Amino acid sequence: MLAVALFGFAGFAILCLSMEKHYKDLLSAAPSAARLRSLRVGGWLLLLVALWLAVRHSGWAMGLVELFAVLMAGVTFWVFLLPYKPRLLLGALAISLVLGPVLVVLPSA
Amino acid sequence: MKEGFRQAMAWLHTWTGLIFGWLLFAIFLTGTLSYFKEEITHWAQPEVPTRALDPAASLALAQTYLQEHAPNAGSWFIRLPEAREPALSVGWRAEGAGRRGFIDKTLDPATGEEVQARETRGGDFFYRFHFQLEMPHPWGRWLSTFAAFIMLLGLVTGIITHKKIFKEFFTFRPGKGQRSWLDGHNAIGVLVLPFHLMISYSSLVIFMSMVMPASIIASYGDNTRGFFNDLFGAPREVKATGVAAPMLPLPTLYEKVQEQAPGTRLGWIEVQNPGDQNARVRFTRHAGDRIAHMRGGGWTYDGVNGELQGASTIEATPMLISGGMYGLHMGVFAGPWLRWLYFFFGLAGTAVIGTGLVLWLGKRQLKHAKSGSQPGELRLVEVLNIASMSGLLLGVAAFFWANRLLPVGLEGRAGWEVNSFFLLWGLSVLHAMLRPGRRAWAEQLGLAALLWGTLPLLNQLTTGHGLVHSIAAGDWAMAGVDLTALGSGLFLAWAAMKMWRPPVVAAKRAPKAAKAASANLIESEVN
Repeated sequence: MLAVALFGFAGFAILCLSMEKHYKDLLSAAPSAARLRSLRVGGWLLLLVALWLAVRHSGWAMGLVELFAVLMAGVTFWVFLLPYKPRLLLGALAISLVLGPVLVVLPSA
Repeated sequence: MKEGFRQAMAWLHTWTGLIFGWLLFAIFLTGTLSYFKEEITHWAQPEVPTRALDPAASLALAQTYLQEHAPNAGSWFIRLPEAREPALSVGWRAEGAGRRGFIDKTLDPATGEEVQARETRGGDFFYRFHFQLEMPHPWGRWLSTFAAFIMLLGLVTGIITHKKIFKEFFTFRPGKGQRSWLDGHNAIGVLVLPFHLMISYSSLVIFMSMVMPASIIASYGDNTRGFFNDLFGAPREVKATGVAAPMLPLPTLYEKVQEQAPGTRLGWIEVQNPGDQNARVRFTRHAGDRIAHMRGGGWTYDGVNGELQGASTIEATPMLISGGMYGLHMGVFAGPWLRWLYFFFGLAGTAVIGTGLVLWLGKRQLKHAKSGSQPGELRLVEVLNIASMSGLLLGVAAFFWANRLLPVGLEGRAGWEVNSFFLLWGLSVLHAMLRPGRRAWAEQLGLAALLWGTLPLLNQLTTGHGLVHSIAAGDWAMAGVDLTALGSGLFLAWAAMKMWRPPVVAAKRAPKAAKAASANLIESEVN
């Protein structure tokens, strides 16, 4: 279940980065249009992976409920911490991107 | 034309939000507390011991107790202990008595002895309040259902009014006065929107037979009971024969249920005509075993020979949808971490309403800031804002304090707990009327912080179940209430400190032209 949360969090974080304003604020650089597009695609793909993991883990009914719960929690955490601790959030994003797949590959997950 | 529509929706959002905001804030906050109804009840009745769960043994004890104390009752009810609520509850209806003649007792699930727990409504008070508002039936239900409808309306009109729902999806700009409140209002509203929509829509579904009974009346006339009997299966009341017959031990029947559905958890167990030739035992499923809440499901056995009389599982699609909405709203199925998320989303809903009320007033107060005087209607809204938010927090705290301070043997004790809730809430209205706005906020939030923050200390001093004991014993329901109170106290202390200082002037943004432009922007967006 933690994997679903991490993929969902990373998905929304990257979707946030795919917006020019936030990208500039967070990474202090002007992104190319191609970069923004690939971020957008990447973000949505991560959310799809989160959906797939949630349904695989708990079935459609419970999986969707859990997915929505962790997505809402993750994105709220991101948005309200963004003005205060942007670097911490980027760190959390990096950790999610690494830990999420690790948890999926581990046999117990 | 499109702008006209948006403005009309903004107007609706603004005014329905104001009129119902105070009530909705109370409904959302007490509803949020209801996600921990069992835990709060456990906290409120520390006398009920927590034991290892053993359904079969508990059933045997309950049967022995009822056999001894209510051998001639028309029916028995047993509720088994579960992880979240340790009590074994039994109840019965005295023979020949109507609905009022119901007696219920709490037993120790390990010994079967009656537990003398303090009289309290516990978490059930907040649960009942959030849809009945302590008003006579059915007015409270109607009012709260109407409020739920206004909430749904507020969400839809809010989405329409919000011009940059995607562009500002990730936007929160703190430290900028009204702008920050609006950002916060929008962000919590949008990011947790699935929850908000689910909770307000499902409340309408839960009460749909009350709100929209036309289709039922068209077919059943006044006989609404007939509709529910057709829907959920009539409670097949079997007449007692008057011939006594020994009943099978309930654990034996419990084993049969486990054969039918291995690992199933049970909710209520009802025994009709105990001790009679025609005894019937009905087992219902625990509501938390699946998301959709299905009424009327379960297994009925002949209490004398143990034959399965009927098993009903209703799987019609409309039932599944309405049961699903019911289940999602109640969240009984949620395990610990999902329950905590439910709790936080409930707080988010409360915050959306609260920030909305603050915005309404803030925008209008700005207009009068220069003249220094405030029109009476704004002062009225200010008083109601303070009393409905910080005052409610005081009232809830008063309930918990009364639970620990009122003498255990006091006559009508449970009622006095409720009275303390309303008393402090009422006093907060008076206080808000007597003190200037910002000062009233600071004082009420400060007192609330004190009451919440020291609740664990009070628990430690008045019972043997303070944090030191509960954490050591692994009683996380008890410790959780204490720790949540402590956390709320700290948060409220922070809020009180903010209000104690002079207000942050929002005019920090440097260039004058930009300032004027953004002020106009706010003007057009905040309604």
